[in-house]
Amino acid sequence: MAPAERASPRGPRLGLAVWLSLGWIGLLVFFAVFEGLLPIREPEALGIRTGEVEKYEDPGWNALFGGDSRGRDLFALVVAGIRPALILGVTVTAIAAFLGTLLGLVSGYLRGTVDAVTAVVIDIVLAFPVLVLIIAVRATYGNSLWIFIVLFSLTGIPGYARIVRGATFSLAEREFVDAAVSMGATRWRVIWKELAPNIALPVLSFAAIGFAIVIIAEGGLAFLGLSIDQPTWGQLISQGASDIQRHWHVAIIPATVMAVTILAFNLLGDGLRELFAPKEILTQRRLHAAGRHAPGDRNAVLDIDHLSTTLHTPNGDVHAVDDVSLSVAPGEAVGIVGESGSGKTMLLRSIVGAFALGDVTRSGTIAVEGVDMIRSEPSTISATLGTRIGMVSQNPLTALNPVRRIEHQIIEPMLVHGTATKSEARARALELMEAVGIPAPERRLREYPHQLSGGMRQRVTIAIALANDPSLLLADEPTTALDVTVQDQILRLLAQLRTERNMALVLVTHDLAVVKGFTDRVAIVYGGEIVEEGPTDRIFQAPRHRYTLALMQSMPDLDLPSHSELTTIEGAPPSLIDRPIGCRFAARCPAAADPCMDEHPTMAGDESHRWACHFPADVPAAIEQGGSDGR
Amino acid sequence: MAGSGSDHLRDEVVLRVEDLVVQFPAPHGETVHAVSGVSFDLDGGETLGIVGESGCGKTTVGRAVMQLEPATDGRVELHGDDLTSLRGERLRQVRRDMQMIFQDPVSSINPSRRIRDVVREGLDMWAEKDGPRSAQLVDEILVAVGLGGDDVGERRAHEFSGGQCQRICIARALVMDPKVLILDEPVSALDVSVQAQILNLLEQLKQRFGLTMVFISHDLAVVKNVSDRVLVMYLGKVCEIAQTDQLFDAPTHPYTQALLASIPGNRLGLPPADELISGELPSPLDPPSGCRFRTRCPHADERCASDEPALVEHQPGHWVACHHPQAHLRPRGDDQAEAS
Repeated sequence: MAPAERASPRGPRLGLAVWLSLGWIGLLVFFAVFEGLLPIREPEALGIRTGEVEKYEDPGWNALFGGDSRGRDLFALVVAGIRPALILGVTVTAIAAFLGTLLGLVSGYLRGTVDAVTAVVIDIVLAFPVLVLIIAVRATYGNSLWIFIVLFSLTGIPGYARIVRGATFSLAEREFVDAAVSMGATRWRVIWKELAPNIALPVLSFAAIGFAIVIIAEGGLAFLGLSIDQPTWGQLISQGASDIQRHWHVAIIPATVMAVTILAFNLLGDGLRELFAPKEILTQRRLHAAGRHAPGDRNAVLDIDHLSTTLHTPNGDVHAVDDVSLSVAPGEAVGIVGESGSGKTMLLRSIVGAFALGDVTRSGTIAVEGVDMIRSEPSTISATLGTRIGMVSQNPLTALNPVRRIEHQIIEPMLVHGTATKSEARARALELMEAVGIPAPERRLREYPHQLSGGMRQRVTIAIALANDPSLLLADEPTTALDVTVQDQILRLLAQLRTERNMALVLVTHDLAVVKGFTDRVAIVYGGEIVEEGPTDRIFQAPRHRYTLALMQSMPDLDLPSHSELTTIEGAPPSLIDRPIGCRFAARCPAAADPCMDEHPTMAGDESHRWACHFPADVPAAIEQGGSDGR
Repeated sequence: MAGSGSDHLRDEVVLRVEDLVVQFPAPHGETVHAVSGVSFDLDGGETLGIVGESGCGKTTVGRAVMQLEPATDGRVELHGDDLTSLRGERLRQVRRDMQMIFQDPVSSINPSRRIRDVVREGLDMWAEKDGPRSAQLVDEILVAVGLGGDDVGERRAHEFSGGQCQRICIARALVMDPKVLILDEPVSALDVSVQAQILNLLEQLKQRFGLTMVFISHDLAVVKNVSDRVLVMYLGKVCEIAQTDQLFDAPTHPYTQALLASIPGNRLGLPPADELISGELPSPLDPPSGCRFRTRCPHADERCASDEPALVEHQPGHWVACHHPQAHLRPRGDDQAEAS
């Protein structure tokens, strides 16, 4: 898990749109509250009697919004419409949100019978013809505001209940709910203390939009002549509509006020939703490696030279890969080892140019069989990617298309890159399935991914990666999602295929043990840099970089008796945004001294084994004398 | 593999799980046999490791012991009281005696609450919130798990790393002063260096508070490090249960041997894993008859298909459920300082 350390402490930011919306809503509230105290004309005063406002008077200094068909001051009428709108909106929203949330929480958490009954009741309410109901109730009980509040609330409840029930379902699966139950929390406590706070914001956001819907609904009903016994915006629009050709302002002005109000509540709802959207905490860490790199090998399958990959994010530039040089010979297996956020996956993605995040720059060079993977024509890069490089990812389930047969997924890369005809591709798919050790391959080819176990799926992704007989296989944590006995099988398979096909392998992993025994060389990555690189056996016998040593010592070892104290690396990896000036491991290093903090170490060692450390670990005497004596 | 049987259970223990069965309904009227007759016990201050691969039922065992999953059959006794028969308020009353730590530490903490409230929640719930004692206790526990900063309690989960969140979860559990702590893959989501910190912390806390723990993990090296005894599970059954050193020095069940041989490096002197295990995990909807490991075992014969092996004591404290137990003794290298 990426040590996230502290995310930036700044609070969530509301956009300009939200502030403008809040300003508009504040203005409405102000008028609603102080309506009687402000120098505004009596809304019902007819111009014929007072002589102050003429019929259809144009907007102007006398009457800001002009006069209506009976000489009433439109401004006063619009202001008078604020109170009913706000009262209706606030009351309906509050009642519906409260009851709907309660219902959603209870049915979502308790499930079973309670949930089933709730679902049926909600369906019945939704099936009710609301309009007919309103007409009927109005006939019997008149058209007071309170009738509308009751009816609107009732019909609003299901919407809230549904979103809350859905959110509660997923929240109830979270471990913190289990933890509370384990401590003896009652059901009501779980609902109130654990679930409710987490759905408050989504409900609030939905309520802002719900408020807008109430206002729209009232407007619509007023148009049908089904309004309340107080002046509302809906009534003004409805009355003005018939004169709109001659006197536009009578309908357009109240409509504009209503539209702006609706927009304000919608924007407010959207703003609130962004506040509770999953926080993208940037856990990327940094690093930067220096220096001496074995001169580019013209025969290398993969030759990376001074590669830096930078992600431009709102929080700053993430230096995910920092001046990395590495070359891989044909048939060679190289391990890239690092912890979460070390940049090891970004290094692999840089090779193929696949980035989930948009704004990325790469500098330096990456050559695959001599093809420049950064600056060549897109078609050249694409052909190299498709035919010379195979990829195996961590999660075989998401790597496969769930709705397509295995056979289709294996032959597709061959057809896309024109390396085989359809019948050749079919024959080859069968060979590949056998090569990756899948029993009954003919039958399996016709199946879908979900019909296979995790280990079998990973074999299929390997078969797909091998389809065009690549010279380089890139594997990103290929066994992390698999069980230990399956992991052993997949690693053996990769080793066997590599030998058979003289294919180079780059194996990215967090697990040092996986690298040992399955790679020829290993590069240790920390903070975006390679901090040590050399023959795998050599590095396991005599690691020189202090980080490599600490990483090895912190692994539980089967050779140690139980309850042995493990060596730990205190602290957390450095940020990839604000990189330390000196050695990136200095803050956590037991051997760190003065130069480590201020001076970035350069690579030392020789062509075969290099490291960037001011105070490299000692080489055990036995190894120094014996040289490399194999494993 | 897989045996049933409860001869290995001891008297006078803190936790005693006997013939635990957990089944789930599956579509089309089928049944998932998640746990099929598992027995183990736990002495005060002891750590029992439960290892096995995905689908072996180890997590379900933990949840069923916690009463987060109803047991289909069997008993879970805490200090002699059977918990599986308890419901409602009586169950709630005993919950505080067992606490659980989960795999995903970030998801285990309510994101909307401050850490102080998260850790104090148990005290709140049991009305021990008032008075300086509880505030002091929360501070003490936070320091004990290595989170002694001044403002730690005021922050929320997203401000902490995975390792720190796991420390918070441990603090929250310890506040309850539990008689048994169940840890389900507590370090699997953490980086190696952070994993070592948490394992060391658990060891310290065990010494200091005399914790009794069930430690569930797929990682054999981690389990070896923390456990006094280890139980190996396969497809809902127990294969082998032994003192940690016995299990790692002389693994006897064919499945245990296959597991240990699969660890990269295979340094226990076992044959390559592909000679010890073949094929794929059978479906828990329709587990094999007799020994559940027989479909993948190189030593299986007719008897394994007809008779289910029971746990038998091979050495004092070392129980194996297999008709053809395979003696293996780990070769002792000169450079190994075994200081048990």
